[in-house]
Amino acid sequence: MSVPVGAFVAVSAVLFFIGVAGVLVRRNAVVILMCVELMLNATNLALVAFSRRAGLPDERGSVFVVFIFVIAAAEVAVGLAIVLSAYRNRPTVDVDEIHAMKG
Amino acid sequence: MSFDIIQTALFALLTIGVIGGAAGVVLINRITAAALLMAFTFLCMAGMFVLLGAETIAAFQVLIYVGAITVLILYGVMFTPQRERPYALFFQKQTPLAALVVVPIAIAVALLAFTFRDGGKAAAGGGDLPALATSVFRDFAFPFEVASVLLLAAMVGAIVLVRRDDE
Repeated sequence: MSVPVGAFVAVSAVLFFIGVAGVLVRRNAVVILMCVELMLNATNLALVAFSRRAGLPDERGSVFVVFIFVIAAAEVAVGLAIVLSAYRNRPTVDVDEIHAMKG
Repeated sequence: MSFDIIQTALFALLTIGVIGGAAGVVLINRITAAALLMAFTFLCMAGMFVLLGAETIAAFQVLIYVGAITVLILYGVMFTPQRERPYALFFQKQTPLAALVVVPIAIAVALLAFTFRDGGKAAAGGGDLPALATSVFRDFAFPFEVASVLLLAAMVGAIVLVRRDDE
């Protein structure tokens, strides 16, 4: 393979930190969910890249990617459900204005 | 070798797509555009999986992320309307531009579909699918079942969370 594994891991790291920045900077709950998805996807890329580097006979890294797909689907479903039920109480998706459960 | 150059060029293009799309998700204020850019990022990521030789994962990526998760996010955007942003679903001002993109693709697809003749057999083997399936259903059978229970629990939880009590 002509592209080194490190390059894929570098892209993964950059994407992960873009996701972290998005979660920290944006205040729209749906955008925050999107950025969490970006972070999960960055992890997938790193897992597949490392699984190619190790040269294992099976696809262990890819198996974990499949599990992360499951987690991501569950996370976005529950996350959107929470956002929608919060929106039903007060019509906003701004996480600064959603503080009903704040102590 | 020219194949290496093609691979490197593809990697560079996909990197630009992934990083640019992700940066757009964070930086663009219009939430629908952000969601579509997220889908674009996921699509470029599927290309990266193909470059890495993980075709099955790339297919899952397109099905689950580009398909299911993007649609879920778009539904979330739709159900949480923002103020001062009226919009039409169809026939917005980008319709000519969209036609400019769609019509050539439609012509190309039609030409391909009507001039296609079956030439030779498909290659044997299934890419990385046999090894992946062996791993999932033999070595990781129990985590696989746990993951399915987790999905069920998440589905029930999501339904309970958004259910209205006034029936």
